Amino acid sequence: MSTILKVENLIKYYKTGEAVVKAVDNTNLEIIRGEFTVIVGRSGSGKSTLLHLIGGLDRPDSGRVIMDGQDIFSMKEDQLARLRRNKIGFIFQDYNLIPSLTVWENVVLPLGLDKKKVRKDKIMEILSKIGMEDRKDARPDTLSGGQKQRTAIARALAASPAIILADEPTGNLDSKTELEVMSLLKKCVNEFGQTLVMITHDETIAQMADKVIYIEDGKVVTVS
Amino acid sequence: MKMVSHIAFENIRYYKSRNILIGIAIFLTTLLLYLVPSTGLNLIEGQFAVVNEIYPTWHALFRDVEENEVEKLAAYHDISTYGLRCDAGRIASEEADIFMIYLDENGFLLYKTKLLEGELPQKEDEIVVSANLLKAIGKADKSIGDRITLSYQILQADTLGFMEEKEFLITGFVEDQASGEQSKVYSAFVSKAFLEQEIPSNIRTYRFLFQVNSRKDALTSELENKINSIADVFGIPDNNILINDDYLMANYVDPAIQPAIIGIMAIVMAAGIITIYSVYYIGMTDRIQEFGRIKAIGATRKQIRWIVLLEGLLVAFAAIPIGLIAGSVRLKGVFYLFLHFFQGENQSIHIMKELFDNNQLSLFHGWIYAAATLVALLTVCVSLLRPMLIMSRISVIEAIRFRPECTDRKGKRVRKEKSFLEITLPRLSYIYLTGNKKNTGITILSMGITGVFLMVTATILSCANPKEIANGEMLGQYEVVIKVDNRNKEHPERKWNNIIRNNPLNCELKKKIEELEGVTFVSEFDYIRVFSDSFGEDSEGVGGVPEEYASQLEDGIIEGTATYEDLKSGDNVIIDKDLLQWYPDLKIGDTLVLNVDLEDEECFREVTILAIGDYSTGFTNYNDLLMAKEGARKLCSYNITESYHIFTSKVYSSDMEQALHELIAADSDRLQIQTWQEVYEEWSSSMATISGACYMFFGILGAICVMNIINTMIHSVHVRKKEIGMMQALGMTDRQLIGMLQQEGFLYILGTLILSIGVGSALGYPVFLWAKEKGMFGISNYHYPAAAAGIISLSLLLIQIILVFSLSRAVKKKTLVERIRFSE
Repeated sequence: MSTILKVENLIKYYKTGEAVVKAVDNTNLEIIRGEFTVIVGRSGSGKSTLLHLIGGLDRPDSGRVIMDGQDIFSMKEDQLARLRRNKIGFIFQDYNLIPSLTVWENVVLPLGLDKKKVRKDKIMEILSKIGMEDRKDARPDTLSGGQKQRTAIARALAASPAIILADEPTGNLDSKTELEVMSLLKKCVNEFGQTLVMITHDETIAQMADKVIYIEDGKVVTVS
Repeated sequence: MKMVSHIAFENIRYYKSRNILIGIAIFLTTLLLYLVPSTGLNLIEGQFAVVNEIYPTWHALFRDVEENEVEKLAAYHDISTYGLRCDAGRIASEEADIFMIYLDENGFLLYKTKLLEGELPQKEDEIVVSANLLKAIGKADKSIGDRITLSYQILQADTLGFMEEKEFLITGFVEDQASGEQSKVYSAFVSKAFLEQEIPSNIRTYRFLFQVNSRKDALTSELENKINSIADVFGIPDNNILINDDYLMANYVDPAIQPAIIGIMAIVMAAGIITIYSVYYIGMTDRIQEFGRIKAIGATRKQIRWIVLLEGLLVAFAAIPIGLIAGSVRLKGVFYLFLHFFQGENQSIHIMKELFDNNQLSLFHGWIYAAATLVALLTVCVSLLRPMLIMSRISVIEAIRFRPECTDRKGKRVRKEKSFLEITLPRLSYIYLTGNKKNTGITILSMGITGVFLMVTATILSCANPKEIANGEMLGQYEVVIKVDNRNKEHPERKWNNIIRNNPLNCELKKKIEELEGVTFVSEFDYIRVFSDSFGEDSEGVGGVPEEYASQLEDGIIEGTATYEDLKSGDNVIIDKDLLQWYPDLKIGDTLVLNVDLEDEECFREVTILAIGDYSTGFTNYNDLLMAKEGARKLCSYNITESYHIFTSKVYSSDMEQALHELIAADSDRLQIQTWQEVYEEWSSSMATISGACYMFFGILGAICVMNIINTMIHSVHVRKKEIGMMQALGMTDRQLIGMLQQEGFLYILGTLILSIGVGSALGYPVFLWAKEKGMFGISNYHYPAAAAGIISLSLLLIQIILVFSLSRAVKKKTLVERIRFSE
């Protein structure tokens, strides 16, 4: 099993007035290719900041994130943007779909940004696997929460990224839909061999993962 | 109400960028609302002041008024002021024409004759002279207090008497007139005592100069009617009435000026309304929820309306004074720039500038400040009417459920097309813009309307080509033309029927002109003054076109047919279409009975209208009935040559002009010279002024409308901050972001350009045809305003590039994570 992502001595502090918040405090961890990893922590423990840093959405004060052997923070902004669209798929708690685009357009957006040819059959296969093939021309405002999150998952899968980073993807969903979405994510790992890193505060969901990383006050406390 | 006002105050701060844009639009609107009427009013007032400075100010004079009549006239209620003049005689001089004139003190004032030093003559041997007059009689060394002996002839009953000699004491000096120096005509002013001594009271008559009681903005026709009615009361015959046309015409308030200023202000107001409304409208969708919430907690419709109005008015209260201050600072510059274009060709502009420089006239007018403020406030209020109405009518439930990114205001789905298979940057722009059709439409429309105005105006300005106008007004490079003046009783020698009996444009002069070096050809046009029942009391001109212009005469026919041969008989004419403006009933086939103006002879001739033509004034010399030269000469046996059109190898040479002046020097009171260069320069200067003023106006108007695209683009980025952040998280590079915004901006620009240049060009052509038909600016050919189209396109593209660059920088100020988390 090879390491796809390595976090070394990562530090990110925020200043709020006089106080300094240690959002990520000298964190080290490794993500193995094809594994489903969950990062668990209470609200304010720094898990979202860690995910943003891993995904190159934010820059650390110090430390490195090595993805496929490349230090992502040595890259310029535009290189980092290209890395994100090629190697990372994002799933957010509040879906973050583009409201003016249809389901299909949202899904193919990362490919479009990368000027890649859209393989219609592949996208249809993904939509069919997540049960959204009938709603491909619908706009996000006409979808339920579960459908929106399924669309976001399809979007994350469309560019065949090396890793999917999911930020509390079930946080806004009811328990039935939550289960549906989690099964879908598991299916992605199992059927597509996808690497998935997910953050949650829900211990039950964490039990579904291959590896669970507990984080507290910006530090990794245990890995199981 | 206190809380409502507080909300309005806070809104101004919260929606800072939008209110700054509205403030800029109000500022620019106020600037124009102040500058346009101020410049117009200053020109009118300046013109009045100059007229009063340089022209004799009497409205009219009655000749041959006897002394007892003077008193009665002076007491007449319609006469506000009067002066007396009497031409006493002529001083003998071989060098110049020197008249002895009696003018009373008021006469001096009404003639604007300035006594440079000394006093008016009182005793019978006292005289006031000018420096050049003394020079002309070889006594340049004399000054006040010196005695000079003059030989003179007294004028009695229109006849000069025997030569007399008398010693005079110089009591004063008057200013020399520039025109007097050129024509060597001078005046010496004698006393009333001299007049009474030399001319017996029973044959002594005066010229009674007077002003009538009138409003400052009275029309010429009103004044003329008043003068004629006074003449009727006192039985003054028509030929003894002389109206000071120059003064009255210069004082005449052109009825077109006021509507033009009001029209321009209305355009400014419309641009302001469209812009301010559009800025409010574009941002309104975000605020529906906000006003819904305020309503939900109990605000009444009236309170909501007041919040919207107060927010706008507070911005206006800040922007209007800035506009007025900036206008006041720039007014002098703008006004002088305006005057600058006329300098060098118009003496009155120099005087006008002096009057303003010496603070004899003020550039600033209190009422314009008040009017500009009121109109600017009105503009803001009108712009806010609809937003006030919409906001106050919002249903609370609808407002709270309202999601600006999904629906338009009425809750309709805004996109019905199927998905695009692939997503590209242009498609992203297209999807956004078509999803916000109304915003896009309003932005494009409000900018495009100004563009249409600009293109139509630019079409007229580009068609008014000074070179073509000069070519239309003059054939050849020089023109020697008769000074025909049939209404000037002072100069009966300029009446046409006198000129033709001793026409200075004769073979001898023509030969001399042809012999000048550089002259390649001299063309000779004729003119016959005719009356006809068809023209009422007016006279018209029959132009005799020389054979070398036969084809041009035939080519100009727009209706009917006629050959040059047909027009040789003297029985047929072509009429210029301009004549139909005055006599619309005239038509081809009509017979006109022409009475040739020969004063003491009767000469009637029937002519048939064969065709209607469209000719330049240079070709017709303002004669609207045209014949072959041979035909015209059959109507009148005298020398009817009116003008020589002189063609030379060079466009202009001062030596040539000088040589022509020398050739006509002996007849300079009956002949005048015009050069093509002079006409061209005059038009170039006028068109530069008009173009400068128009483009300056449209520049500011354009700046007002540019606020629309700035607002729309800022708004589109603001509402999509999260969306943009999301796309960047998914891998959109900064370059792609700028590219996407550029494309969106480009589509706005493209829409604006299609509207401005497309509709503007399409409308420009019929407006050109209309202007040509009306003879505006001597327009003859269509010229597409390519420069204006280019400037509009480049300016818009530049604005858009700067805007996108600034916006993308503003977007990047926040981190990606902040943008993704951004929530409205």
